[in-house]
Amino acid sequence: MKKYTVYLRYYIGDPLEEIHLEDLDRIGKTHGVEIFFEKIDNRTFDNGIMKEETLGKAIEEITQDVITVASGDETPFKEAILAIYERYRSPRTVYGFWGSSKDGERIAKEIAEETGGGW
Amino acid sequence: MKILGLIGSYRKNGNSDILAKEALMGAEEAGAEVELLRLTDYKINPCQGFGLCLFREEGCHIKDDVKFIWSRIGDADGILLSVPCYFLESTAVLKQLIDRAWVLAHRGTFRGKYASVMVPYATRGWIPYAMLQPNIFLGILGLKVIHRAAFNVQGLGEAVHDDPAIKKARRIGMELTRAVLHQDPTYRSERGLCPICQDRNIRILKDHKGVECPTCGIRGTLTVQDGIIDVAFDESAVSTYRFDPVVGYNHFTYHIKPSRDYYLRTKEERKAKGKLYRGYLKDEG
Repeated sequence: MKKYTVYLRYYIGDPLEEIHLEDLDRIGKTHGVEIFFEKIDNRTFDNGIMKEETLGKAIEEITQDVITVASGDETPFKEAILAIYERYRSPRTVYGFWGSSKDGERIAKEIAEETGGGW
Repeated sequence: MKILGLIGSYRKNGNSDILAKEALMGAEEAGAEVELLRLTDYKINPCQGFGLCLFREEGCHIKDDVKFIWSRIGDADGILLSVPCYFLESTAVLKQLIDRAWVLAHRGTFRGKYASVMVPYATRGWIPYAMLQPNIFLGILGLKVIHRAAFNVQGLGEAVHDDPAIKKARRIGMELTRAVLHQDPTYRSERGLCPICQDRNIRILKDHKGVECPTCGIRGTLTVQDGIIDVAFDESAVSTYRFDPVVGYNHFTYHIKPSRDYYLRTKEERKAKGKLYRGYLKDEG
């Protein structure tokens, strides 16, 4: 894990629009950082409605889109996160950065508060 | 078919009473049975934040009169909420009930019922958040609001002097009844900026590019044309309404329930660091 690694965990309804790998690739190239994208979907159809029981499930296992951003340098790392937030907004939950490096999480949270935080 | 009046004022025979009773007379005239509850007559304890109602889905364990209030709402087809604005917003009893209503929010217990709101107030310009708590309360319950009206009446029982206000209250009661009878959710009051709660409070987002209705959580765009300021919300924004059943389900499923796993994983660290605060300035209670 690089010094600056963050997992941005977006749950259902969290991103302002659907997250596309092509957009993330472009952000990664623009700012010279590594970006990975994983979709996790554990919902089931129940009477025509998408449902999921999340109580007691691990944070990483419930349905979510995970964007991973990694860099050895702070400035491009920050710029890439800002670009992601501008497009999709920041994760919504306190556990939305779970598993990140300490510095990566600190920076991603700071930018979230600056751009779209509590109020 | 029953219309239930809920009064959020401690003062008997005051303006909230008079307007509610006039509206209920209108409801009776239109064919409804009516019932009246003064919320301040009941014990409504604060939510203790245990979250058992969410995590265990067992309902609320607090022993007071709130379950009785929910049962009365459950028996009614329409709710007539009359709550005064003393200082910028609703009286505290409504907020107390809002916090307790979370237990119902993800269940949709009352969804589909109808409601109207009446707010007596004293001074023009001192009621910017008067509809905030009524909108949150009725939004959580999932009720369809057909009227929101503010009445400029100040002294105790002054509403009796105001013929237009009395007539309006009666009309609100009659139209609420008709809305229930015809299952017609058409909004009948003056429209505001938000297409859902009709409030005029709009929040500029931190990026200074967009705005949102802070109550409903829907995002829009500020427009200025020929000096006229307006807000545009597109249809897709409306689908993100905070109290929409799907949005509500997702909130509880993905924002609330997984916090248990997070809590358990961070418990030991929290316990160790929390020692510093547990012994500091210990209160006598």
